[in-house]
Amino acid sequence: MAALTPETLPAPATVPEPGARPGRPRRFRAWRGVILFFAAVYFLVPLIASFAFTVKEPDQGFSLDAYGQIFSAEGFGRSILLSLGLGVATIALVLLLTLPAMLAVRLSVPKLRPVLEIVCTLPLVVPPITFVAGISRVLQWGPDYLATTPLYQTIISVQNPDFPIVLVLAYVVLALPFAYRALDAGLGAMDVRTLVEAARNLGASWPHLLFRVIVPNLRAALASAAFLTLALVLGEFTIAQLLSYQTFPVWIYTISDSQAQVSVAVSVFSLLITWLLLLGLSSAGARQRSGS
Amino acid sequence: MSAADTPLRTAAASRRGRTRSRTWLAAVPLLAFIALIFGVPLLVILGGTFSRGGTFSTANLTDSVHGAYLTALTGSVKLSALVAVLGAVLGTFLAQAVVTSRFRALREAILTASGVLSNFGGVPLAFAWIATLGNSGVITSALGLGDRGWSLYNFWGLALVYLYFSIPLMVVVVVPALDGLRPQWREAAQNNGAGAWQFWRYVGIPVLAPTLLGGVVLLFGGAFAAYATAKAMVGASVPLVTLQIDAALSGNVLIGHENVALALSLDMIVVAGLVMAVYLPLQRRSARWLR
Amino acid sequence: MNGARVEFRGLRRTFGSTTALDGLDLTVEPGELVALLGPSGCGKTTALRCLAGFEHPDEGEILVDGSDITPVPANRRDAGMVFQSYSLFPNMSVKENVAFGMRVRKAPAAKRHARAQELLDLIGLPSIGDRYPHQLSGGQQQRVALARALALEPRVLLLDEPLSALDAKVRVTLREEIRRLQLSLGITTIFVTHDQEEALSMADRVAVLRAGRLEQVADPATLYDRPATPFVAEFVGTMNHIPGRVSGDRVTVLGQMLPVDGEVPGSTDVDVLVRPEAVLVTPEEDAGGLVMVSSFRGSIARLTVVLPDGTEVLSDVPGHDAVRLAPGTRVRVALVERPVLVSAATERAAGATPRAAVAVPEHNAV
Repeated sequence: MAALTPETLPAPATVPEPGARPGRPRRFRAWRGVILFFAAVYFLVPLIASFAFTVKEPDQGFSLDAYGQIFSAEGFGRSILLSLGLGVATIALVLLLTLPAMLAVRLSVPKLRPVLEIVCTLPLVVPPITFVAGISRVLQWGPDYLATTPLYQTIISVQNPDFPIVLVLAYVVLALPFAYRALDAGLGAMDVRTLVEAARNLGASWPHLLFRVIVPNLRAALASAAFLTLALVLGEFTIAQLLSYQTFPVWIYTISDSQAQVSVAVSVFSLLITWLLLLGLSSAGARQRSGS
Repeated sequence: MSAADTPLRTAAASRRGRTRSRTWLAAVPLLAFIALIFGVPLLVILGGTFSRGGTFSTANLTDSVHGAYLTALTGSVKLSALVAVLGAVLGTFLAQAVVTSRFRALREAILTASGVLSNFGGVPLAFAWIATLGNSGVITSALGLGDRGWSLYNFWGLALVYLYFSIPLMVVVVVPALDGLRPQWREAAQNNGAGAWQFWRYVGIPVLAPTLLGGVVLLFGGAFAAYATAKAMVGASVPLVTLQIDAALSGNVLIGHENVALALSLDMIVVAGLVMAVYLPLQRRSARWLR
Repeated sequence: MNGARVEFRGLRRTFGSTTALDGLDLTVEPGELVALLGPSGCGKTTALRCLAGFEHPDEGEILVDGSDITPVPANRRDAGMVFQSYSLFPNMSVKENVAFGMRVRKAPAAKRHARAQELLDLIGLPSIGDRYPHQLSGGQQQRVALARALALEPRVLLLDEPLSALDAKVRVTLREEIRRLQLSLGITTIFVTHDQEEALSMADRVAVLRAGRLEQVADPATLYDRPATPFVAEFVGTMNHIPGRVSGDRVTVLGQMLPVDGEVPGSTDVDVLVRPEAVLVTPEEDAGGLVMVSSFRGSIARLTVVLPDGTEVLSDVPGHDAVRLAPGTRVRVALVERPVLVSAATERAAGATPRAAVAVPEHNAV
């Protein structure tokens, strides 16, 4: 080590420590077991207890009646159909708005991309309750200021209780960040520009290109955006409750006063739905990964 | 999808050099939609906050940080901070237990469950816990907790329930970061004489820090904005800003002071905005490290 | 002076059903650079990791200057290691990375900095101390990793394919630099690689591993010229397989009678192993050989010649002869007169083109 000054740092101990076989010490595994055990208790007990709660009968001890009553309960069908309808409309609108905008930005105005990203992320900053505070005030004031204009009719019709378009509009805003991220990841994985140029080079027309090349390649991303949006709409309570529309979560809340068991049964049921939706989502993601 | 079709066609034309590009027009509907549906309510909140009785005034904003409203605001911040810190710590330990596990099936199961449970909020979550530990809950009656003064419907009960979606969210956030800790780093540290603790102190924790802090911030935001769970569980008995906004919107407020709801909303947006302002740079830094 | 003697003795390690090390014996002399060379899965990395303490042999021992270090935990071993890639701590500047080992040992800050700077000078990157790993190129990162491995003045340096993630050009300059540094420090160095060119150009001795066993250990020239086994012959460099017949200790091949080097297999039909540079071709109007392909590589051109019986033979000729020996030229093929290796003939399906000299693909054919 001619080039180096001598070092006087303590030399590493080379004396073998008896029995000190390096590797994962045993206490690590014990620590992991303890953590997993408490996690299992904390996360499983409420699920099991909820189920027990719904099947408990004062007399017989066990009955699945509560689950049967879900379907016959007043308002169940109407509210779940409303929520599903809102979900479908929201998915359609959010995809229709974001996909063309994102494609256009990627293909011809990349400078606009950060702007689009920020704009689409902004709704995360605004808690739903504050958003609905603003919306409800607009709906209150709107008619006063707009009474003499045609917009008056518009503002009345978006509040139609049979299909409140106002909720679709609000949900599109809430879903934007999720849809944007899902689509952005999908577009990022497929190199749109090269695909577009290759297809154009092979003589594909634009509609052909869009539906035969881009959409099929984006299938997983589109599915993921749709699933996330649907999960969001099916679970959204704040906005619907404060604007007084009886969507599915609001319905669960309303029946809880009179039918506690049924409302818990529906809760368990809706957890199952979420579970299935997300399983679908993750398998779509897995397909995407294996495909690319 | 003709909206996309037309502008894209002109994009092709522009590449052939015939017309100027109008492709950006495809982004207009989205931007217009956001400006109208998202921007107008925000402007109304802003305008309403600074108006009382038709004239400009900061009275709403002043009111929103005094008295019961201040209690609600600090209550929300305290609850969210507690949930964020506890959730982050517990979630990180759980994630580490999962990541170091040899059982692939266990790992997959916990990760999937975390994805589901982090989305399990709102009314159903409240009811599941009411059925478990509420006044007539299964565990409450089984263990006779009711006689010992147990109640779920308070600050600590809310924290317990909020953790149910916060811990899984933390797991979802932190597992990729733990996976991103390259084994070479641990080995290089060992090779330089570091023990397990020194590895974590000098390398592991600093590398994870942006992710962990980002997770805390995200959990805070989630708990802060939560409304449905609290509404279904405690009604208005725990002072929280979301419940106060609800009360004020439903007319449970002094005549002429209706805009306090908007001022409270503005307070919330400011807090949530700060949260995001902290989160995004942290996330960018950790993405760079864990690439 | 600063190097330790390293001995692997009967090292055995299995992972589930695969055997990574199957009784490896190898001694590395003080101050020597030994390359562990072999195909992936041959156990070379496992051997290195056993020495660093990241793996534990099921059987056998590792001696450093005569004392068994297998029970010593990885963080107490006196061996600096450079990993394949991305091993720098991303949260620390280059200087902090290099000084990490001293920080762990609680050396005073001033001393750490001086030492780090010294090492950065040594690796030829004196002014990057304040940068972060993500701001460095791959080659710079590996140099810094080398500085970090040397910071504690270990007596053994372990290099685990440190160049494999780099560009061809950087790879060549860096390997020369590593060698120069190693020679000036006199540190015992074990270098794992799957790249024969790297191993031959850097090492004092090359140890070829196959399926967890040592196949041959020798200096590069011996390894290339007198491979102990057909596997080594095949793995190091390119080798022609030309059918021949053994009689006694001589073999008849392409009409020539050559002495056999090493073992003579039981059968009389054998493959004669010949390097492309030992195959001589001369253009001749009515000769049986035909140049099929000529691949020009600057100083040499590699020709693929087809013989009348269908055998394909590779031959390296000087680059300036390439024009004369363009594809389509009739050539006479002869072998350099010297002892040759033979191996039992490989099975050949009737009618199929005989497998010619396709050896292990060459890395770095620059």
